Amino acid sequence: MITLETVSYAYPRTDREAVAGISLSLKGGECILVSGHSGSGKTTLCLAAAGILEHEYGGKKSGRVTVDGKDVREYRDLSDISSRVGILFDDPDSQLLFTTVEEEILSALERRGFSPEEVEERLARVLVVTGLTGLKDRPPHALSGGQKQRVVLATTLALSTDILILDEPTSELDEEGTGSIVRLLSDLKAQGKAILLVEQNYSKMAGLVDRIIIMENGRIRTEGPPGTVLQDEVARRTLIPDFTGIRNGMRGGNGNSPIIRTEALSFSYGEGEALSGIDLSIVPGEFVAIVGENGSGKTTLVKHFIGLLRPGKGTVMVDGKDAATAPIAKLAHSVGLVFQNPDHMFFADSVFEEVAFGVDNLGIPDREKAVMDALAAVRLTAARELYPRWLSRGERQRLAIACVLAMQPPVLVLDEPTTGLDGAESREIIGILKQLQENGHTIIIVTHSREIADRCADRVIRMEAGKIISDARMEALHG
Amino acid sequence: MAEILQYVPGNGIFHRLHPVTKILFIILVSVVTIITTSIAVLIGILLLLFLLAFAGHLLRPVIQQMVLILLMSIVIYLITILTISEGTVIGYLVPSFVPVIGGSIPVTVGALTVGTVLTLRFAILISAFQLFVISTQPRDLVHTMERARIPAEYTLMFVIALRFIPTLQIEGKRIHEAQLARGYHPGDGFIGRIRSVAPVMVPLVSNSLSRATILGLTIDLRGYRSRARTRLRERTLGIADKVAIPLMGIAGAAFAYGFLTFSLG
Repeated sequence: MITLETVSYAYPRTDREAVAGISLSLKGGECILVSGHSGSGKTTLCLAAAGILEHEYGGKKSGRVTVDGKDVREYRDLSDISSRVGILFDDPDSQLLFTTVEEEILSALERRGFSPEEVEERLARVLVVTGLTGLKDRPPHALSGGQKQRVVLATTLALSTDILILDEPTSELDEEGTGSIVRLLSDLKAQGKAILLVEQNYSKMAGLVDRIIIMENGRIRTEGPPGTVLQDEVARRTLIPDFTGIRNGMRGGNGNSPIIRTEALSFSYGEGEALSGIDLSIVPGEFVAIVGENGSGKTTLVKHFIGLLRPGKGTVMVDGKDAATAPIAKLAHSVGLVFQNPDHMFFADSVFEEVAFGVDNLGIPDREKAVMDALAAVRLTAARELYPRWLSRGERQRLAIACVLAMQPPVLVLDEPTTGLDGAESREIIGILKQLQENGHTIIIVTHSREIADRCADRVIRMEAGKIISDARMEALHG
Repeated sequence: MAEILQYVPGNGIFHRLHPVTKILFIILVSVVTIITTSIAVLIGILLLLFLLAFAGHLLRPVIQQMVLILLMSIVIYLITILTISEGTVIGYLVPSFVPVIGGSIPVTVGALTVGTVLTLRFAILISAFQLFVISTQPRDLVHTMERARIPAEYTLMFVIALRFIPTLQIEGKRIHEAQLARGYHPGDGFIGRIRSVAPVMVPLVSNSLSRATILGLTIDLRGYRSRARTRLRERTLGIADKVAIPLMGIAGAAFAYGFLTFSLG
């Protein structure tokens, strides 16, 4: 249903080919999974396959793309192509134009020449299929990341096109949400739809995928059915993060007094309790994972460690300071918090200056050394003069860690540090964190990946509806 | 967080009016407000707006917006005091006991009057527009703008701007938190404040701009620039509209008569 014949493309004002010599064909009832490092050309491949590069982008193009047997150049415009191909881009916020879920889906249906009855019928159907009926009057800013992804998927599915191109449709969904999307896609595949899927975590999609393509520097590195591709060592590590040997046998010193302690901590954003009765103590040198579904209170909890949120009830002590009253700038000496989206922090013109920002704010002596040590720890020394926003997603994530690390806090807290990264990149991030643990840091990661939690952390704290429901030490031999 | 210019669901009098009626209302209020310089008339209109907001269960957001207008009025008064020197001098911006520069910058009745008229005008125009936007479903807005043959690009620009206000508020808050966690402290004094804007504004603007490409593609993919829309769920004029439109006609005529005969302006 889609074919690419030796497609190459370089974006305007650059000679570097974002994709080079790509050939592939996608048949009805087939699902191809595309994976690879961030910046390897996965998204560009999607744009090419959807005919978007041909119609909307300048730059150097070669090769030929057909959709439903017809050259993409023969389609009148994007709206013409979109009646054959449903496309979902990776950032859901950029694809929500309207102020309620229902209007968003209607906007995808209203300009297709359907009768009013048909529009209403399709709307009702897609709301049910994507489980959004209860949310139809919500504005986009009142939706979670995962819910936004479901809305965007609903607008893509509303037209019931035979071809779907989906760029990371589940990156912000928790396990339960991902499971429901995978079941939905399996049904669609069984109905004969062709699916081109960009996804970093193969395990989530295993039952759905017929063929795998691994991208590297714009080229197809490996291609074939899962059984064959997974034989290849490098490909397997890209698809499935390999955490073998990541455990370093380090444990928090059991006798030590805790560096973070909460007692009966409760917090509310206004309606209902976001945290209720949290008792927790973390000792220096521990590697702790806090896991739970979206909205279970993980991020709310860690924001208390640095004073971004103050306890409603109960106490939080951090490194001998009362986190209910101590200024954030003072708590930042003890706790470094790396947010989920690294792009929320970058504003400087160079990697060096970006890292130096926190160092200067806290007045850390020997600025040059503090910055360069942090860059070395995340393997970005060579990037010191580059513009932060030009780095790949994986590099930006590492830079975000360096920014906080350079402030030399004993505790590092990371919110979903592996979002949008492939298996190898995820392993690299966790490896860096393990090294920091060996150097004496206390590491706390917030994640919805059970795999990372179980295989890398020494201790896994599970949260549900604002409460800790389990707190387990993992056995060293487990990993 | 207070949501700026977002639709407030409800069933008050404003919600029941057709967007066209509301647009006529804004036009009438705007014309009267701009023509008249009578403080009494302006206060009357503002009170009427408050009354209507109260009747339409929308008083809270309108009052919240007044904080912004009060802040703006300080700037307006400053400008008028600095630029208008007609009328009786009633005091000085720099008190006379201050050495050397004491007694400079006179404050005149003329300046205060103009400042008050301008403040009231802003308050009325902003409140009227706000009442319209927060009581109208965005899709009705789009339909009305389409009916008025406003090109789809402009309609979308307006709707997308409305849709992104709260998103940017939330994102601004997140960025601010991320920078606080890096020990960022908003600077002291005027220069400090200006300088401290960069760590929040640069990521906010860069992130927004990086969304533009996908936003544009999404608009095209949904056929906005090339196809006719299926007409569905369109509003028609109701009883409230049929009462409100003649009422506004009478009010407009009364103002015109008063303005011309008694020079109410």
